Amino acid sequence: MPQLDFNGTDQLLPILAQVARFLLPILALVVLFRCVRSMLSGRADPETWGYLVTPQGEVHPLQHWECIIGRAKSSDVRLPYEDVASVHAVVTRNDKGDWHVTDLSRGGGVFLNGKKVEEPEQLVDGDIIRCTKHMVKFATNSEQHRALQEKKRAVAGWKIHSGTTLFFLTLMQLLIMLQFFVSAKEEYRFQTMLAFFALILIEWLCYLLMRTMDRSGFEPETIAFFLCTLGLCICATATPGELVRHVVLLLASVLLFFLFGWWLRDLNHVKALRWPAAILSLMLLVLNLAAAREVFGARNWITVAGFSIQPSELIKVAFIYVGATTLEHMFRSRSIFYFIGFSAVCVGGLALMGDMGAALVFFATFLIIAFLRSGSFATVFLAIGGAVMAGMLVLSIKPYVAQRFMTWGHVWEDVNGAGYQQTRALSAAASGGLFGQGAGNGWLKNIVAANTDMVFAMLCEELGLIIAVFAALAIVALAIFTVKNAARNRSSYYVIAGCAAVTMMMVQMALNVFGSLDILPFTGVTFPFVSRGGSSMLSCWMLLSYIKAADTRRGGSFVVKSGAKSRGEDDA
Amino acid sequence: MNKVKHRAMSALIVAALIIVGLGVYIVRYLENGAKWATFAVGGYTSGVVSMGTIVDRNGVVLANADGSSRTYADDWSVRRACYHAVGDYSGNVGTGALSSFAAQLAGYNPITGTYARGGREVKLTIDSRLCVTAQEALAGRKGAVLLSNYRTGEILCMTSNPTTDPADSSAEIADGTYLNRCISVSYTPGSVFKLITSAAAIENLPDLSQQTFTCWGSMDVAGVTINCTGSHGEQTFEEALANSCNVAFANISLQLGGDTLERYVYDYGFTRTHKLDDIVTAGGSFTKDNPGTPGLAWSGIGQFEDAICPYSMLRYVSAIASNGILQEPTLLVGKNNGSANLMQSSTANKLRDMMSYNVQAHYGAWNFPGLNLCAKTGTAEVGDGTSHAWFTGFLLDEAHPYAFVVIVENAGAGITAAAPVANAVLQAAVNG
Repeated sequence: MPQLDFNGTDQLLPILAQVARFLLPILALVVLFRCVRSMLSGRADPETWGYLVTPQGEVHPLQHWECIIGRAKSSDVRLPYEDVASVHAVVTRNDKGDWHVTDLSRGGGVFLNGKKVEEPEQLVDGDIIRCTKHMVKFATNSEQHRALQEKKRAVAGWKIHSGTTLFFLTLMQLLIMLQFFVSAKEEYRFQTMLAFFALILIEWLCYLLMRTMDRSGFEPETIAFFLCTLGLCICATATPGELVRHVVLLLASVLLFFLFGWWLRDLNHVKALRWPAAILSLMLLVLNLAAAREVFGARNWITVAGFSIQPSELIKVAFIYVGATTLEHMFRSRSIFYFIGFSAVCVGGLALMGDMGAALVFFATFLIIAFLRSGSFATVFLAIGGAVMAGMLVLSIKPYVAQRFMTWGHVWEDVNGAGYQQTRALSAAASGGLFGQGAGNGWLKNIVAANTDMVFAMLCEELGLIIAVFAALAIVALAIFTVKNAARNRSSYYVIAGCAAVTMMMVQMALNVFGSLDILPFTGVTFPFVSRGGSSMLSCWMLLSYIKAADTRRGGSFVVKSGAKSRGEDDA
Repeated sequence: MNKVKHRAMSALIVAALIIVGLGVYIVRYLENGAKWATFAVGGYTSGVVSMGTIVDRNGVVLANADGSSRTYADDWSVRRACYHAVGDYSGNVGTGALSSFAAQLAGYNPITGTYARGGREVKLTIDSRLCVTAQEALAGRKGAVLLSNYRTGEILCMTSNPTTDPADSSAEIADGTYLNRCISVSYTPGSVFKLITSAAAIENLPDLSQQTFTCWGSMDVAGVTINCTGSHGEQTFEEALANSCNVAFANISLQLGGDTLERYVYDYGFTRTHKLDDIVTAGGSFTKDNPGTPGLAWSGIGQFEDAICPYSMLRYVSAIASNGILQEPTLLVGKNNGSANLMQSSTANKLRDMMSYNVQAHYGAWNFPGLNLCAKTGTAEVGDGTSHAWFTGFLLDEAHPYAFVVIVENAGAGITAAAPVANAVLQAAVNG
């Protein structure tokens, strides 16, 4: 009979760490699968805020806070008559529960109880709205009735409990800790353990905070924490000396996520600050151009009081803030031209700085916002045409950008020159196989900028291809969730902001991942939540606020005021 | 809101592109993962991946790497003789086992990557002792020696000169040292090409056995003189091959025509590249000339613009040795690369008998004591007044079914320069 060896832990831990390699992808799958199912499986029950009733007795429920009346098929309330404009009028509800009607017909005429509507007019129950000669009666949805309907809506996280999902994520984090316990250098072992404990603490505090606010939808946050876990792995393996800084930044980012989300709850607040946000962004951009220092060819860093920040990351959040708009605003003023101008300055400024990656991300986000606002492919093609020409100009004046395009697809022909980073990334990624070498066991971390530009390859190398692919799919899942939510959103502002935010994340992730793998030119942008970078982390969590603002499942999001208690008093 | 909610779908375009991109990566990963993971300046520079051990068929260590050190064979002459088969840790010999079998050495597979870091043993089919014998027989002359078992496909000897000692970093590197002349170089074949022309003649000239070929030392083709090595008088086809008579083979080539010759050269694999395990070998070349031209006549004699790789010749004589069926060669013990019917068995047997007759009647069996040899010489004029010496063939000996190709550059006649090298290696292979 073998002797019990009490010093056996020396051998036991490394063996467990090896076994963990195979458990991690399973746990990642469980976490992601639960999140995706919970986000996508629930019925997309709309909220009903009021009704428009035609004289024929047709009842049109008002399922958003902004509803278009018009002839067009895509109208929320369709009046299929020749003399009705395709977009004739819009009825909007504000945060306090007051309804207004606005004329968008340009001449056709909208009348409220027989009086022509010039400025937005407030509606009360029983009012008659007349579009040219066609009448509809406005009826509010009584609070009792609404409360009753609200009860019937699917509750977020009801079928798949968010707490359980988070528990699986925590298990995953514990296994990663085990791997680091084995692989980390003695001097960093304690710090690494502490950092992961802090991450676990932060995510559970977040969760409990949500529960105390009676919100049960925690999937987007879980996905963000999943990605942050991978980000912490990158930090622990590549720059263990920065772990404390990393965790502090994570905490700050999560706080900002709550604060910004809180701000987004009230559209009136939001609208009030759009112009200041635009002006602030432009000022930051100018400051950046004037005062930036050059890092790896791009002048996109400024140092303020000892902290290095990348203004372009903060401008990202502002860009969406400025670009998104309410339906009423969208049709009334042709403000899209201001936005195009603003976008051109942002993209141009970033290109001038040599930050081609960020310029591309902004441009893609601009395209999606422009399309959501105008619905016009012509605008989009025009913009692409303009950008291609501008891009050529940049290529001709920035030789190193052109060189990156030349290298694209030929990295193996110049392994110690232009293809240096990509060949290392591919080599390391392949050596990880499906399950990786184990957290902390890679060598790619020794290559310059691996922890920002080549994180996908680092994940492949240390945690395996499966987890790396899950990381990419996690962002895609957020996008699908946001698009699904568009159907039941209260305001188009949140739809546009949410779609813009996920597009931004996806484009950034795609440029990062495929650039390092030589599937796209190497542009050097960050992988949301995973790449090293404080400014990037802050902006990613703020972008997540937009995604939360578009989540109107019952009890889904703290950014959305509870539907049952609609008059804004639920905060108390 | 309906408008906006439909437009929101456009965000999914990016999502779809990401899925496609990931798919592209996964396909490329499955295809190239082994190459990427074993990229020499990747993991190895940091010492994370150990490369395992390469041994010869008798277990002699040819190269060994663990996390900290990398060594080659203990014996200086083995290191030099096996340099091209093994390669070096700097990857100078692209076709060497260290580069070609890096994935196996590192224990790479697409599931676990290079996680099995102990490194694996790769057992080569070569016999380092035979390589040393061959290298000694080359005696410093440039050239290549290939010897394989035509029943199993195992390559027993593969050596190339100039060579170097990979363990000696200060060794002087002669021009062309990094080329494995056995598999990466194509040479003018000279008279060994007559084996191919003969096969085409056997299958395409129905009255071949009735034909006689008269040689008075030269012939005239469209105003150009085709010289022969001697004045052979009136000969049968068999005697013409044994005499290696240029006049006879010029005549045969003109009868066959460029299209037929080109087809045979291609079908027998001389103008194509081949895969020796994962190693791509050099292709050859053949230019067909118009009917009745001296170019056509010379092309069937192995001159003109003909070029073939010694490895292709090894495949060819291996097929002749076993009734036309080629067992594809391999460098890895236990690996079977499959077999193919390269030529009609009647053609193979006819060639076999003729090659046996070559040795009995002309080369002198006493030059190859104890060997039941079938062979063909080649003396390929390379245009600078010198000739490459070729000797290729096989043993008719079920206990020792060996096929071989020897080429010695700028060394003169095949029978005097290359045949003794072949004899030395064959004697060592048969008698130990």
